[in-house]
Amino acid sequence: MTTNKAKDRKQKANEKQQNIIDALKDHGAKVYGDLDNGQFPKFSIPSRSVSNIVYDKKLRQYILGNSAALRSSRNSSQLRSFTQLMWLAFFANRLTQEKKSSTLRDVYYSSQAFAIEFEDQSESDNIIVDLEAVLSKPREDFHIFPEERSSIFGDLNIEYTIPGYEGKKMNLSNHPDGYAIGPSLTTAELVDTSAEIVIAIEKGGLFTRFVEEQVDKKFKSIIINTGGQAPRSTRTLLKRLHDEMGLPVIVLTDGDVYGEHIAMVIKSGSANAAHLRELTVPDAKWVGVWATDIEKFKLPTIPMTESDIKRCYDLQSDPRYQEGIWKKELDVFLKIKRKAELEAFSKYGLTNITDKYLPQKLELAKSL
Amino acid sequence: MSSIKEKFNQISPSEFFYRNRDLAGFSNPTRSLYTAVREFVENALDACDQKGILPDVHMSIKAVDPEKPDPKPYILTVKDNGPGIESKHVPLAFGTVLYGSKFGLKQARGMFGLGATMAILYGQITTNKPVLVKSSTDGKIQDEFELLLDIQKNKPVILKHTTKEVTKRGLSVSICLEGDYAKAGSKIKDYVYETSLITPYATITFDDPKGEKFHYSKIVNEMPPAPTIIRPHAHGIDVETIRRMMVESQFEIPNIDDAMVEKVRKDLGLAKNNLAFTGIMDKAKKRWKTLSRPVRVVISLMSFLKMDFDKLSKIRIEDIDVPNKKLYYWDFGDSQSKSVDMDPESQYYKQLTGTVQGETLTTFLTKRFQRIGPSTAIKFAEFAGFKPEKRMGSMTNEELVKLSDSLQKFEDFLSPDPSCLAPLGKKKKKKGMKKFFKPDFCAVIQRPASAYSGFPFIVEMGIAYGGEIRPGGPHVYRYANRIPLLYDEGSDVVLKVVNDTDWSRYKVKGEPPFVIVTHICSTRIPYKTVGKENVADRQEIERELRLGLQFLSRKLAAYMSKRGQAEMAKKRANLYAKYLPLIAQFCTELAGKTKEPNYKKLLEEEIIVDDKQS
Repeated sequence: MTTNKAKDRKQKANEKQQNIIDALKDHGAKVYGDLDNGQFPKFSIPSRSVSNIVYDKKLRQYILGNSAALRSSRNSSQLRSFTQLMWLAFFANRLTQEKKSSTLRDVYYSSQAFAIEFEDQSESDNIIVDLEAVLSKPREDFHIFPEERSSIFGDLNIEYTIPGYEGKKMNLSNHPDGYAIGPSLTTAELVDTSAEIVIAIEKGGLFTRFVEEQVDKKFKSIIINTGGQAPRSTRTLLKRLHDEMGLPVIVLTDGDVYGEHIAMVIKSGSANAAHLRELTVPDAKWVGVWATDIEKFKLPTIPMTESDIKRCYDLQSDPRYQEGIWKKELDVFLKIKRKAELEAFSKYGLTNITDKYLPQKLELAKSL
Repeated sequence: MSSIKEKFNQISPSEFFYRNRDLAGFSNPTRSLYTAVREFVENALDACDQKGILPDVHMSIKAVDPEKPDPKPYILTVKDNGPGIESKHVPLAFGTVLYGSKFGLKQARGMFGLGATMAILYGQITTNKPVLVKSSTDGKIQDEFELLLDIQKNKPVILKHTTKEVTKRGLSVSICLEGDYAKAGSKIKDYVYETSLITPYATITFDDPKGEKFHYSKIVNEMPPAPTIIRPHAHGIDVETIRRMMVESQFEIPNIDDAMVEKVRKDLGLAKNNLAFTGIMDKAKKRWKTLSRPVRVVISLMSFLKMDFDKLSKIRIEDIDVPNKKLYYWDFGDSQSKSVDMDPESQYYKQLTGTVQGETLTTFLTKRFQRIGPSTAIKFAEFAGFKPEKRMGSMTNEELVKLSDSLQKFEDFLSPDPSCLAPLGKKKKKKGMKKFFKPDFCAVIQRPASAYSGFPFIVEMGIAYGGEIRPGGPHVYRYANRIPLLYDEGSDVVLKVVNDTDWSRYKVKGEPPFVIVTHICSTRIPYKTVGKENVADRQEIERELRLGLQFLSRKLAAYMSKRGQAEMAKKRANLYAKYLPLIAQFCTELAGKTKEPNYKKLLEEEIIVDDKQS
């Protein structure tokens, strides 16, 4: 039974890789054909301008509209970025074929070997997003990953699929510092777990506290440190834990507008990644710290800054913040104009957050 | 009135200038050294220009005692290959003030050759050393003089005069004067540099006191045509000038003295016979055709006075009032002024008025002004409301004012004859600028001649861009009659016009590598100050400068947009050449092919497209 399942997954992974390789080949062949016919090659990219980003209620995430931009090598002002994208496709093709992975920073440096100059990493990052949009696939599919800073801990057995580690198994509660979430973990097979819930927490400090306080055991949970805004790989893993292992996901953040949005991005994605699907956990729940908790738990606070307040107003016009807890908490933040960090609970003892607050919130999550 | 005049006459010109040397630019050691350099170099160039000799001017400044701090005595020597000065003229030319050959209406750098004498005077005052003049007019014998100026008598004092055999013609002047080269040096170097730009036909060498040598070889081998002396232009002439011209045009009323009476009697054949008045008139009528004009005039006067020779010798004609037909005379016998009426129908009246009233308006215009023919003169008379045959002498004051106003307003006069001017010429100017600035773009214009206050002028202008020109422009080089103007930029009319221009309209932006050269040629440059450094903003000159600059700016704008297009096309071609091969390389591997696509066609096509655009 298990082996069958594993086989299935392996097949799926292979298919995914083949899809990417096919897509890249199609793209290359089209450009090749144009050139060979004495025509300037061109292709269209879904427009990622603000006006083309719309909220899809059904999918519960932002998606790109229908407008697309033509990128033509005939246009001398686009020639450079056209070439950069072709190089990236070429580079991604090699990565995928050879099953090697690379970081965003790697891409920036690798380009220099091919006389493709990127002004800085943000330019190369931008081209990577362009290729995602052209292929409608996340960069992880073509083996490009961000620098990792998120980690995972808890009773979860996995089996690696990356070259050199195929078939190797691992339990993610063996190392108390947790395991970095990178390409090998996101592509690993999730074999089994005793956990009943996934707790995503914004900060490394609290993650360590949760491990120390054995939150994984006490609450039968897998703890994930998102390291601020959750990286794509972490969101991918969260989605897989939810979809494949059937685990509910709750999110615990600082009590401010940025924390609220970290939770929102896990739930419904970011406008930046509107060209991608499969990065969201629509059922994820934000359990705190809420604006209303600040009063309720008498947390020490700090005043909101100008930019905090501006961010509140920005989010008020976001369609996802028009109802429910999202709208309510945002309004309260704006009203009290104060914020509280997760560490604020330490005022009542270092374990107060795990002993008192977390159990209440876990209970509450069931009803959300 | 007369006593003041006498006093003034008692001061010699030398003394006058000695007392007012500031006016001529000899105010301090720095300025004086610079002015002296200018005066001698300009004289040398003028001398060569006038004789059509390609100038080769050598200038040197040496400190008498290099160890001394500035200001200190320097020896300034300027040597040319010009015509030289005849031996007998040398002492006067260099030893008196106001002796020169440059009077007359034509363009020259200096007006009267005054400045050089001032420099000599200044040298003598500050160092008490004589001027050393070496001159050879034939290239065989050279006269060498050592001269001092007697300031009070305005006379040269010859200390030494020798002759020597030489092989070259020319003049060399050497003076010792107090100067400050430390401060004046950069201006003098600028002066030499800028002079060589506006006289590309001259070779100029400068040895400075520090042992540096500046040498500017001639760039063109052809002189600009020499200016000629000409009559004034009708535009911008004033009433006073017309009056002076009229005096020239009239015959004088003969002075009836004993000699005159004798002559009349002789011509009438009455040397011995004494006839009565009517007899004289009869005799004159018979002999009229053989009589000379002065005799006819005397007879005409007698006809109205009704006097015989005896009576005639006892009066003096005071005035012939043509408009009022009256003749005034002074009677010595009665000691009072008397008058008689003149009958306008009389033939003698015509004789008198024809003499006294001078030329007709049309003759006056065609003979006294440049570029006015008979038909233009008649057209003008109609325009001004005068009869063409109107005699100049019969004009009242009001009519003269009307005439002067009309002369300025009448638009059908040909523009002033520029033959008295010597612009450099477009070709030479362009060649000079190209050689000097090594620009990417250069355009020049010579505006048609115009006039202000009766003085013709021509504006020449050039503009150069890019190449080796340093950024931070426009750099403006101002010239007047081939003299570079270095001081007092701010108040100059050229700067005013340049600063009024919005360069961004001509696609010139930022700190452009950009040079403007202006050259105003005139028989008289309207300098604002005696220092000859800035030109006053006379409306007529400003207009010509503006039009010239606009023309050149449009040329520059056309060049700039062409340059922009060419740069773009080149940039684009480079881009394709750089990126298409890369695209080909990447898509070949992506598509799983081994042979690269044939993209060379695209590169060629792109070049063809660009050629069509440019």
